Amino acid sequence: MPEDRDWEVYKAPPTRTPVPEKSTSLPNPVHIFQAAFSYVFDRPVTFFREWIERQHAKNKFYYYHQKFRRVPDLSECMEGDYLCFFEAEAQWRRDRMVDQEIVAIVRERFAACQQREGPNQFQNCAKEMEQLVQVTKAYQDKYGDLGAHGNARTCLMKQKHRMIEERKAQENADQ
Amino acid sequence: MAAMSLLLRAAAAWGARRAAAGAAGGVRLAGAARLPGAVAPIRHSSHGKRMFIIKATSFYDSRFLNLLRFYIFLTGIPAALFITYVNIFIGEAELAEIPEGYVPEYWEYYKHPISRWIARYLLDPPEKDYEKAMALLDIEAKKTEMRLMELEARRLMRARGDGPWYHYETPDKNLTDDSLKATPDN
Repeated sequence: MPEDRDWEVYKAPPTRTPVPEKSTSLPNPVHIFQAAFSYVFDRPVTFFREWIERQHAKNKFYYYHQKFRRVPDLSECMEGDYLCFFEAEAQWRRDRMVDQEIVAIVRERFAACQQREGPNQFQNCAKEMEQLVQVTKAYQDKYGDLGAHGNARTCLMKQKHRMIEERKAQENADQ
Repeated sequence: MAAMSLLLRAAAAWGARRAAAGAAGGVRLAGAARLPGAVAPIRHSSHGKRMFIIKATSFYDSRFLNLLRFYIFLTGIPAALFITYVNIFIGEAELAEIPEGYVPEYWEYYKHPISRWIARYLLDPPEKDYEKAMALLDIEAKKTEMRLMELEARRLMRARGDGPWYHYETPDKNLTDDSLKATPDN
């Protein structure tokens, strides 16, 4: 059963349906269709689903999100210490996966805001847009053009080059 | 209703007349594709003339499809039933925060009960795989180090000549006869 979204994060807009005023004595066919749908599809399916959940509730068990200990980074590893390299590489890959999920969540929030606001999106979604721009820029800076075979070592080298460029730019600015 | 049956009867009569006129020797259009034996639209009669219809064999195709369905369903249906039973009566795990002071087992990080079972009984714990990989790396790293040190030792002993390797046996220096070169005028 697909989970509902987090109602605190993706707020539904307040409903503004007007109170209907009946002017005819004919029954509203929409109500008939809604009742038919409810009796034919909604009620049996909901009943079946609740029966299944009663079976599930008899023996509950849980799963957890694994928390990994932090190990020394690649920049703290001695040269030739292949075990330290291995652990740092594994940690870097886990961190990259987490960062990819973060970018996906921020992008999803922006898309939800767009969908929600419709024509008002450019005014009301400025915060989400700013957040998306910052997060994608940071991701691109860190993991950007490493390619398919990017690993912790190439990422560290990219960081080193970035710092060199920064330092050069600062020196040129000082001059 | 009466009008409908009149219409149908009129259509049948027209069709029969048209077919009779065609069969009597009229020009038949070349595109009139019809199964041999179906002469005219006839209702409530026995079959037309019995024909041996010649068409390409469907024996191999239908045999293949039958066998395909049989072998797919042979394991597919029990698997589907088992998975349905597990999903309905056992159900997936719920996400929970790790309680204080509790270290979950390595299979308790999966949601579906079949994944948990496979992780618990068939696969090794990921910590064991991690340590095995690190052990292999350690062995290879030590081998590399040993090989490099051996190469360095060989190089130095060959260059300096003061080590146990690269010893070439030379004759005893007491055996040499210096009398030929003892005086400068020889």
